[in-house]
Amino acid sequence: MNRTHLALLSLAAALVAAPAAFAHEAAKGKNGGLRVDAGKYHAELVVDGTSAVAVFLSDADDKPIPTAGFKANAILVIDGKSQRFELVPADGSKLTGTAPAPVNPGAKGAIQITAPDGTTAQAKY
Amino acid sequence: MRFPPTKLAMSLLLSVAILLGAGSAHAHEGHDHGAPPPPTSSTIAPRADASSADLELVAIARGNKLEIYLDTFRGNQPIDGAEIEIDSPGGILKPVAAGPGLYTVAAPFASKPGNHDLAITISANGVVDVLTTTLKVPLSTQPQAVAAPRPWWGVDPAIAKDLSQRVGEPGTSLLLTLGLGFLTGIAVTALALRRRRAAVGLILLAALSFATPTGALADTGPRASATGIAARDVSQRFPDGALFVPKPTQRILGLRTIFTEQRAHRRAIELPGRIIPDPNASGLVQAAVGGRLLPPPGGFKPLGTSVKSGDVLAYVHPPISSADLTTQQQQARELDQQISVVSRKVERLRAIEKIIARGQLEDAELELKGLHERRTNLARANKEPEPLVSPVGGVIAASNAVAGQMAEPNSIIFQIVDPARLWVEALSFEPQSTNGSAQGLFAGGKSIELAYVGTGLADRNQSVPVHFSIRGDTNGLRAGQFLTVLATTTTDRAGIAVPREAVLRGANGQSIVYEHSNAERFVPREVRIEQLDAERVLIVAGIEPGKRVVTTGAELLNQIR
Repeated sequence: MNRTHLALLSLAAALVAAPAAFAHEAAKGKNGGLRVDAGKYHAELVVDGTSAVAVFLSDADDKPIPTAGFKANAILVIDGKSQRFELVPADGSKLTGTAPAPVNPGAKGAIQITAPDGTTAQAKY
Repeated sequence: MRFPPTKLAMSLLLSVAILLGAGSAHAHEGHDHGAPPPPTSSTIAPRADASSADLELVAIARGNKLEIYLDTFRGNQPIDGAEIEIDSPGGILKPVAAGPGLYTVAAPFASKPGNHDLAITISANGVVDVLTTTLKVPLSTQPQAVAAPRPWWGVDPAIAKDLSQRVGEPGTSLLLTLGLGFLTGIAVTALALRRRRAAVGLILLAALSFATPTGALADTGPRASATGIAARDVSQRFPDGALFVPKPTQRILGLRTIFTEQRAHRRAIELPGRIIPDPNASGLVQAAVGGRLLPPPGGFKPLGTSVKSGDVLAYVHPPISSADLTTQQQQARELDQQISVVSRKVERLRAIEKIIARGQLEDAELELKGLHERRTNLARANKEPEPLVSPVGGVIAASNAVAGQMAEPNSIIFQIVDPARLWVEALSFEPQSTNGSAQGLFAGGKSIELAYVGTGLADRNQSVPVHFSIRGDTNGLRAGQFLTVLATTTTDRAGIAVPREAVLRGANGQSIVYEHSNAERFVPREVRIEQLDAERVLIVAGIEPGKRVVTTGAELLNQIR
């Protein structure tokens, strides 16, 4: 098996493996919430059936990102109505907010995140 | 050409890898990473699309305005009456309806270059959903299509651009290069021919031909207004055959899609059929004896009159031949004679009643009575007609009755049909086993439900008759009407059923369907089809379940070049 063959083989392996990188749809996050992509970040939404809502930010390698200076806005569908509320930075990589009504896990919605440098990102749940 | 086995294996492996990779990249929805790349085209306004399991949305920036096209995800039907809120860089926007499934809102940010994140909350048809998307406005706020056309070319800017890219030169120098080359070529030819006069003529001719289009086409060439903010979105076909069709165009073409589902379908066979009356609910009124037809009191009943079983529809007066008449008259006279003789005898016997035996008088009286009865019968036999009665209840479907007409014995005078009970007689040219359910299709497109009754065995015109009864409403149907019977067979076929109109013939003669892959992108897919029934075909290969296939308007889509 010469070098061309090796190259082809590795290309084949890469092609098979590549979709696996995409396949982290609605993965379970470290904090027990739903983790999705938000631009260059990963955002994990943690709700527990109460009106407390928390979002954990991490980078593409799942390393936590300090949320100081971040702003965020949550739009969640609660009981068939869309509710809009703000999330504020809390300790560590956490953004917290209070929904107008209790939020059950699996709620649909979106989080709009504004980084301190003004760039924005969105997460859809 | 021969492949070394290792190389062959390698290429196979690579192909499989590509296939695997492509398949799984599409395998999940609701996630941005795996979605196919959005259409890249320079001639369209900035746009963003988003979709969920129920909704599909396209936001188009037109200057300072944002247009939102909202459709159902599966059917591509415009959604009216939706409430939309957009969380945009410019605050919360509330678009208002501006047409079927179209909503507009002023959005100053839409004209500024950059990436604008939009979270769109939609409440429609009892569904609330939040969609996220990013509107990318290129650096030049003027859409490139407006800047691209140079009127003096007289050529489609897209083609020119393509050409110039191929030549590897900027657009302006392209024609110059071509023209110079042409001139040089002519000059060289002329020199080679060494005929100066001809050379001068040729050069002049060439110069003219080069100059003419530039001048003449200057007026006819496409002119885009320099201030045109609203770029015209033009649908186009990409080299790979995929189509970019803007939402507004989709609305004009009336594109609709269906969501593909793998399912077992029963094949249907087509049989030519004809409506016949149910033999248990129809009947004929025939004359048993020949005779003159006469109407019942009130006249003959017109066609369509409903009759009950036992109703008198007509009378037949049997004619009496002259020989019979003579015999009858003779009998009548003989009887008259006997009556007068016997009545005299009775009178005489009554006068001497006291002295004769009682039996004598009684005998004479009985004889007289019998003679009278025979005489009346004889008189009546001449006049009494045969009544024709309806054998079943129903409606008079056919009538051959004319007053005074001589009806032959066994001739059909009336046909009675119960219009609520009709059958269909279809002809099957090969023995088929049906599972019992069938459909009847009329030329006008109307369809009726049928139930299998039975199949004959006697051959009739190389076919066997198959009987079906009509279920449900028979209003408007009549015996003798032709129809196509679609009988479901007992054999199951697995596949994806699509309407016939969804399957088109590609340029190479293959059957294709258009898959609605992204909001504004359609991809032709080669498919293998099998006949299913009159309205649908079965796709057995070429497309997977869970895709959207264009049904209405597919033919129009196929015409986009």
